[in-house]
Amino acid sequence: MIADLLARLRALVLRRRWERELGEEMAFHLEQESEVHRRAGADPETAGREARLAFGGVDRYKEATRDASGVRPVEETAADVRFAWRWLRRSPGFTLTAVAVLALALGAVATVFAVVHAVLWAPLPYPHADRLVRIYEQNSPTNIWSLSVVDYQAIRDQQRSFDAVGAARFTSAELSGVGQPEEITAVRVTSGFFTALGVGAAAGRLIEGSDEPVGASPVAVVSDGFARAHWGSPGAAVGRVLTLDGLSHTVVGVLSPGVEELAGMRASVWPVYQMAAPTRRGPFGLRGIARLKPDVSLEGATRDLAAISERIYPIWESGFKDKVARLTPYPLRRTIVGNAEGELGLFGGAVGLIFLVAVANVATLVLVRASTRQHELALRATLGASRLRLVRLVLTECFVITGLATALGIWLAAAAVSVIGRIAPDLPRGGEVSLDGTTILVALALGAVSGLVVGGAPAIGVLRGTLSSWREDTRRAGGGRRVGRLRGILVASEFALAVPLLLAAGLLGRSFLALVRVNPGYDPSHSFSVRMALPAARYPDSLVQDFWRRAVLRVSSTPGVLAVGLSTSPPPDTHGDVNNFNLVAHPVPEGGAEPVAPWPLVTPGFFRALAVPLLAGRGFTDADSVGTPPVAIVSRSWADHYFPNEDPVGQQLVEGGCYACPRTTVVGVVGDVKYEGLEGNGDAVYEPMAQSLARGAALVVRTADDPALSMGPVLDQLRTLDPAMPLRGVPMADDLREAVSDPGRWTTVLLAFGAVALGLSAIGIFGLMSYVVRRERREIGVRLALGAEPRRVAVMIVGRGMRHVVAGTLAGLALTMLEARWLGSLLYGVTAHDGITTVAVVAILLATASLACLLPGFAAARLRPLEAIATE
Amino acid sequence: MAESGDLLPGTLEVLVLKALSLEPMHGWGIGNRLDQLSRNALRVRQGSLYPALQRLLRKGWIRSEWRTTESGRRARYYLLTPRGRRQLEAETEVWRRTAAAVNGILRTRLAEE
Repeated sequence: MIADLLARLRALVLRRRWERELGEEMAFHLEQESEVHRRAGADPETAGREARLAFGGVDRYKEATRDASGVRPVEETAADVRFAWRWLRRSPGFTLTAVAVLALALGAVATVFAVVHAVLWAPLPYPHADRLVRIYEQNSPTNIWSLSVVDYQAIRDQQRSFDAVGAARFTSAELSGVGQPEEITAVRVTSGFFTALGVGAAAGRLIEGSDEPVGASPVAVVSDGFARAHWGSPGAAVGRVLTLDGLSHTVVGVLSPGVEELAGMRASVWPVYQMAAPTRRGPFGLRGIARLKPDVSLEGATRDLAAISERIYPIWESGFKDKVARLTPYPLRRTIVGNAEGELGLFGGAVGLIFLVAVANVATLVLVRASTRQHELALRATLGASRLRLVRLVLTECFVITGLATALGIWLAAAAVSVIGRIAPDLPRGGEVSLDGTTILVALALGAVSGLVVGGAPAIGVLRGTLSSWREDTRRAGGGRRVGRLRGILVASEFALAVPLLLAAGLLGRSFLALVRVNPGYDPSHSFSVRMALPAARYPDSLVQDFWRRAVLRVSSTPGVLAVGLSTSPPPDTHGDVNNFNLVAHPVPEGGAEPVAPWPLVTPGFFRALAVPLLAGRGFTDADSVGTPPVAIVSRSWADHYFPNEDPVGQQLVEGGCYACPRTTVVGVVGDVKYEGLEGNGDAVYEPMAQSLARGAALVVRTADDPALSMGPVLDQLRTLDPAMPLRGVPMADDLREAVSDPGRWTTVLLAFGAVALGLSAIGIFGLMSYVVRRERREIGVRLALGAEPRRVAVMIVGRGMRHVVAGTLAGLALTMLEARWLGSLLYGVTAHDGITTVAVVAILLATASLACLLPGFAAARLRPLEAIATE
Repeated sequence: MAESGDLLPGTLEVLVLKALSLEPMHGWGIGNRLDQLSRNALRVRQGSLYPALQRLLRKGWIRSEWRTTESGRRARYYLLTPRGRRQLEAETEVWRRTAAAVNGILRTRLAEE
């Protein structure tokens, strides 16, 4: 077996040497033989002739030896490939189109596969990652939220299901002590967070239990990249001090290189989370991460956590009335990639369809082309080429096309994967995407399959149609009825696949337009915002209100500024600052879940700064402060939802589950502002910032002219108050645009895909009908000669083409039923089965297809009857 | 004339193995030896040795190397591999049994005639 392979390889790879040695060997043989004859007395000439006679034909035996060397099939294939290559080079337009279309489609599929593989399917990069869970609070199948300090500490102290439990809190912090002060993302974590994940330190140590009590010296772990950027090496980072929100933290350890994201959170600084003793059940906002014990199932942990929920409920009942809320574990993988699943599904589906359209398109092109060279093939057949040989020839050509396309596609995918971080910055686990062996194998397999599909159709044509028709009637040699039907099916399937793509593009386009047209409820022009945070280290509680008051005063006296206000969550706040509340007049039943609403804390000037109208009651004044009864202003939608038939002004509510606190009174109603993104329902409850202690807020500034002109002076004014504060102004219009950027991106991507699919389908039907016209030249000529109107001939061609198109479109409409579940969550203001969009898509498709059929139709109508009949 | 002359198919290969079992030889030497061994009774076209040698190489029963002949010429010599030797023994055994059986049949017929 091995000897055979080696011998064959030698004969193949060392071809020249093999030939030379064979020649030398046979020459030696002849010399030896003639030597014998010479010794017997023959003259040299006779001796040579005798020797050759005994040998029996040098060339013949050389050939026989070559056959015996077993490289004939390889050589023939090589010859086929060379021939196919020469033949393809003769029509570069066709070859380039086919290769480019397939390569792009294959590259896209390989890229998406790599992403899906790495993001959705591959296990998380932690040891025994299937045992990792994230713990949530949950009070209904759809409503889950994060943990509170009470929850975390109860789980940590009472659980029996986990090897380790940790908590993490996403925060932004003002970083100083290394370079310019800047605002960074820092994730505060407990020691259990690293233990549960099973990650280690590359230098120094990680957070330990002894770091956690309030009062212990604050420490932080940093990423490898952060350590290298600031101190040159991980080793040099250990022991350094960095200041977060004015508080010194000692760097005790550095994570391994490349670890920039843990449990779905991306940060370069991981300071210790020191928890103050809780005074109530909330607030929530912690991520609980835990590792299941090997012998405990998710269900077991769920029961364990439910028992803990019931034990802690009575202790904090005064401030948390949600009796049905349960601590619930979810597989960590699902919680990280959950959101990406729908979008990747949609994207993957779209790319898959494009790939199928591309394959069908190239198959159509090849098939039509193969039919035009039937004479050549028939000639070869008559000259003695076997059918199998012809099939091999045709297949080889297709495999040369798909082979080139596969190589190019893999190269494209490699390029795309390397920039995936920039294409999709929000993709969870984006850093783990790579063009791995599996992806390459899948791409190769897809390439091979497409080669079979593309080559299969003309190969069948050769086997069944071409040759027989050649014998029957050279001019009617169209590849037989079966092949004709195959071409029709291929073209129809292109349209069938294009329908779902176009419909998705249309639906997303419509929902994008709906989103853009949404009235955000405020005037984003001539206004900008500046986010500010007051670190506790530099601003004790007593100074906070004073700073905010001075900031508003300073800025409102800046030239060009019309109005100034502060808000803890300026629109279109997508972070979800919400609060729960209970109406005194219409309380929810005991133990039920309280309603929630966006809950911005604002200063009196806020509504004027964003041009939000006051509709009833009064606005906030400087008199609303810590000492006065708590008041709230609600949005019109909120008022309509909760007091549809009553005057909302004067109504009272319990907020945040604090039944011991004084009731809050509604004093006014303002116009709706969209919070929680533009899909929000307009509900909002505003409270005066002066009645709470808020350390972070955005200053909203309304200017007379271009906001960009006033931004600099305003920031300068703020810097005189606190030179150390990192400041950046953002036009409100930018924030608003950002809120629709995601739907915008999706719409663009799918519109592009839809356009490509439509274009390919149009090329397909155009190619097919052009071929039909060419094939039936004579028949059309006869009709014209007999007096058929050219217009009717054109209509006839278009009609025949549209039969395939309509069949394909109908099949495509059936396909669209499947895509509703992927699209549903991405749509706004339009349903997945929107009639108008469907009709529009079908209309565009049919119009494009008719145009594509019209060109060959015209060509048919313009035929000169006599020429068409006379020529072949 | 077929390349194996009047030989049964596959016989040439066995004969080549037999010739090589005595000593490594080049192609011409093998042909010469076959003539001697068969006392010129089995004539084969000398050229047909080479496809046969190629087949034996591929089966791994012989290997080849370039050596210098006694007269100082370069020539390709063929050597029997251990597997080739086992193959020769097996083929010899099969041939002996087949020949005995065929002989038996042929003799019977002669007796009846």
